[in-house]
Amino acid sequence: MFSISQDFAPPFKLIAPFFIIGSLFYLASVAYIFFISAQNISMLDTKILGFVHLFLLGFIMMTIFGAMAQLVPVVLEVGHFGVELFYAIWPLLSIGTIMMAFGFFSYPMLLPFGGVVVLISIMVFIMEIFLTIKKVKKFNLVMKSILLSNTFLFFGIIFGLVMALGYSGLIEADINALLRSHVFLVVIGYVTITIMGLSVVLLPMFGLSHGFSTKPLEKAIAMVCLSVLLVVLSSFIKSAFLEYAGYMLATLGLFMYFYFVQTIYKTRARKEIDIYAKSLIFSYFSLIASLIFGIAYIIFGFEPLLLSSGWMMFFGFFSFAVTGHVYKIIPFLVWFEKFSPLVGKQKVPMLVDMLPKKSSSAQFVFCAVGVIVVAVAILLQNDALIKAGASFLFVGALAFVRSVFYMINYK
Amino acid sequence: MYSKEELFLAISTVIDPEVGFNLVEMGLIYDASCDDEGNAHVTMTLSTKACPMHQLIQQWVKEAVQKMANIKSVEIELVWEPEWNITMADEHVKKALSRG
Repeated sequence: MFSISQDFAPPFKLIAPFFIIGSLFYLASVAYIFFISAQNISMLDTKILGFVHLFLLGFIMMTIFGAMAQLVPVVLEVGHFGVELFYAIWPLLSIGTIMMAFGFFSYPMLLPFGGVVVLISIMVFIMEIFLTIKKVKKFNLVMKSILLSNTFLFFGIIFGLVMALGYSGLIEADINALLRSHVFLVVIGYVTITIMGLSVVLLPMFGLSHGFSTKPLEKAIAMVCLSVLLVVLSSFIKSAFLEYAGYMLATLGLFMYFYFVQTIYKTRARKEIDIYAKSLIFSYFSLIASLIFGIAYIIFGFEPLLLSSGWMMFFGFFSFAVTGHVYKIIPFLVWFEKFSPLVGKQKVPMLVDMLPKKSSSAQFVFCAVGVIVVAVAILLQNDALIKAGASFLFVGALAFVRSVFYMINYK
Repeated sequence: MYSKEELFLAISTVIDPEVGFNLVEMGLIYDASCDDEGNAHVTMTLSTKACPMHQLIQQWVKEAVQKMANIKSVEIELVWEPEWNITMADEHVKKALSRG
């Protein structure tokens, strides 16, 4: 018999806080947008940095870490090294993120302390993942991508801490040089490569896709990894050529990835466009929009194009990829915990029955409209439109929080 | 003791909670046999190697067969060749899944 893995579903009480807190950070980061003025948006504005950290650490990383507690044994085909370590990760990441957000907003002295707390939580996560990967005997594409993405995260977070010490004035550091590396290592090196790697398992599993080639994904991951190395190297040797070669390679790699996703979509047996499919379709088209804005920025040098590119990448691509998977992962975990022991003894719900139809649809519609409105607002530098987009997003985020609580408390 | 059809009928009580169809109509059960002593053998696959419910599903198949009278043991053989694809499912499953 071919044995796949053990411990596929860690205790739900271990994972639930990641999703609950992640959804609350999503709401908080959306609320933060009301305090941002269109006129002074810039990549180095401390309010923007606070917002980005609240969103990326509090929502995206928190939810990805929770999801990884369940997905790592599924994709690595071995049990966790120490799944209990996840009990320490979410409290530390929550505290560190709040300290960092306040640090950027108005108390710079909090930054290094928040940074250290975040560093500890992420290091615990990385070490757990590395020690789990050590148990793997034969590496496949997903395992390699997880190893690479976590290595990038390791360096990205160290660069981030050095920057936090520099911001607070504790040490002297070339923040501009470190910033590019930090952003690329974490955003592209970790979050994007993690999504890319996991998609070869998750997208076919939920869509029942078969008969597609993984070659485009292999090439896409190789290109994106190389782009991260080039951009990091360019910031240390001050080479514009390497920097732009890195951006170009990342763009090509992500277009290649989009092509791969399209082949999975075309070969799927399950044609239903449910909340998962809708979320992912919006997510991947946001990725394309982000890339187009990024290319336009390189050509025209108009900074709002770069900001819109980042916005579509974060709130379009990352957010919807994460929320879409939350609608699959939470029902599974709750079902596994509460209903799987009852199979054969009484009628149990299907996973689809555990989804809150109205609030998940409301989340999708309001957030999608909000994302598009804010992207336009950034391009036009229109303050009223930003507030309008934020209002849509806020309603959508409230619906998302409601959906998370509904699924977790399903009886 | 039991024919393949009788064993398939027993296993058809096992439903995949993700897609809502039973394993037999999904085409996931490749073969089943039972000798005169009541030792059953089921050859099956899953729609994906990464299925997080693989242990549970095998357990349910085992329990479904064990519920049949005079069954002494049940051996589940999980195989990946031939790889499952949607053409192995029943027509009504294909139709239901292909509805957008």
